[in-house]
Amino acid sequence: MSLQPTLSEPATAKETMAGVIAHDLRDGEWVEVGANLPVPRAGALLAHLTRGPNMTVMMAMTKAYLRDEPVLDEYEYITDVGAMRWAEAYYQHDVLLSQQRRRAKGVFFCGGVQIDRHGNSNLIGVGKDYRKLDFRGPGPIGTTNATAQSRRWHLITTTHDPRVLVERVDFVSAVGYGDGSDGFRSALGLPNDGPTYIITPLCVFDFDPRTRSARLASVHVGVTVDEVIAATGFEFPVGPEVPATVGPTDEELEILRTRIDRRGSLR
Amino acid sequence: MSGDDAVVSAPLERHSHVAEVVSVVDAIQDGMTVAIGGFINSGHPMAIIRELVRAGRRDLTVVGAASAGLEVDMLIAAGCVATVMTPYVGGEGIAAVGPAFRRAAQCGEIEVVELDEAHYYAGLRASAQRLPFNPWRAGVGTSLPEVNPRLKLFRDPVNDELLLAVPAIEIDVSLLHAAFGDIYGNVRHNGTRYGDIAISAASERSFVSVERVITPETTRANPLATSIDGVEGIVRATFGAHPFAAEGFYRPDEEHLREYVMAASDWLKSGSRTALDDYLGRYVLTPKDHAEYLDVVGFRRILGLYEF
Repeated sequence: MSLQPTLSEPATAKETMAGVIAHDLRDGEWVEVGANLPVPRAGALLAHLTRGPNMTVMMAMTKAYLRDEPVLDEYEYITDVGAMRWAEAYYQHDVLLSQQRRRAKGVFFCGGVQIDRHGNSNLIGVGKDYRKLDFRGPGPIGTTNATAQSRRWHLITTTHDPRVLVERVDFVSAVGYGDGSDGFRSALGLPNDGPTYIITPLCVFDFDPRTRSARLASVHVGVTVDEVIAATGFEFPVGPEVPATVGPTDEELEILRTRIDRRGSLR
Repeated sequence: MSGDDAVVSAPLERHSHVAEVVSVVDAIQDGMTVAIGGFINSGHPMAIIRELVRAGRRDLTVVGAASAGLEVDMLIAAGCVATVMTPYVGGEGIAAVGPAFRRAAQCGEIEVVELDEAHYYAGLRASAQRLPFNPWRAGVGTSLPEVNPRLKLFRDPVNDELLLAVPAIEIDVSLLHAAFGDIYGNVRHNGTRYGDIAISAASERSFVSVERVITPETTRANPLATSIDGVEGIVRATFGAHPFAAEGFYRPDEEHLREYVMAASDWLKSGSRTALDDYLGRYVLTPKDHAEYLDVVGFRRILGLYEF
């Protein structure tokens, strides 16, 4: 992998996803930069470096300020001491989980073994019988809570295929719009309004406020609507004109490739 | 003659909390609930865990860290575990999900108590507070109360809001690994401390292996640095978290962890235990103690793991 990528090469699908994430984030918000999640990591760092001097970035269980660092190499583990050298504070894990008021400014990115048309995520596993799963997933980790407590959240997958994007998840570990019925979230007393987007390597879905079902918001450059339809396990409405996803600008792409993702995880 | 003279007692002395790996494992019986500190690829008390396997403990309920690592997977692979109560078992980029955990969960050989990390800490907090449960909001509307019937939906008596009651996670023995400890059981961590303090507070007894034993004077020079005061046992175990990291001392031994993951994945995919039994035999069952384990791993490998 070249350390000096050709900056004139167009954005890859994952770089486009990082651009979508970065453009959505606002200065002053609170984001987590996990390990082993290169796309949300790159998107959050890109926002911090380009538009977020007052963002709170949680990195390797620390509060970090990273805008003055020329290069932010990826780290492999959430406990990597190398990623703790910018710490202004440690986030002791049990204390972090007790201090949910932080998430009033929080934005969270939730993955899924399955994600359904109503924005529910399943990290538990695939199968009809919980005691005999066909495929055991990683488990909820912290997604049940983070999606409930954060002010805003999005769903994200780097695998856009019909097994991931399904009509109905087998189990709900992070709840979106449930069965899509009117008032589902408010009846449960869930504090935020539900997921905003599903961000994939092919497109961005948002949710129709009347049906709370995913609809095509934009397709990435070079992707056709038919390709998205063929790769998606649920039906979704397509408007007469589907805009192209706004990916990273030239300047953002240079920052991604020279400061955030030198190893090329997004390429 | 006063009655006091009749009382013959040992001189009143402050007693040492220094323990041996074997005596820690003696405190653990089959069927107990045992918690393990650390976080994914760091800070697990492996010298104690390997002895637990050698001693052949069975039917344990294992409360891993909020994000547990492959130490829980190894205990499952070795047949020590009946129930796992932790929101994640894996190794991040080394193994997205622990292979033995995945296999045992898929074929129903272990009970998985499905929790989010927030529920996990609510359960530990309830245990520490000697309460039957702690309430939590997140989780309503999900499948968690169905797949984990221990979580109960209820309407709170103050505002009539729908919440989950997370039952106390009551732990018999917790096993942690930290940077330092003194002979009186005062523990000092490097780094963020993960959830080790919460785990210890939820436990009847705690034992901590440490990289270095420090003097009580060093402890008293900076009491703010004491993370857990007065655990039952301090075990001296230099490189005691290997193959995982110990913050301030060494990084994870990725090559070793990948060797384990390959062996355990073979069991998951082909059903053959040959590679896994080779791993357990070579690194866990044959070495009679921690020093012999380090011999097998080799000094050159160990000394190659420093952080900087």
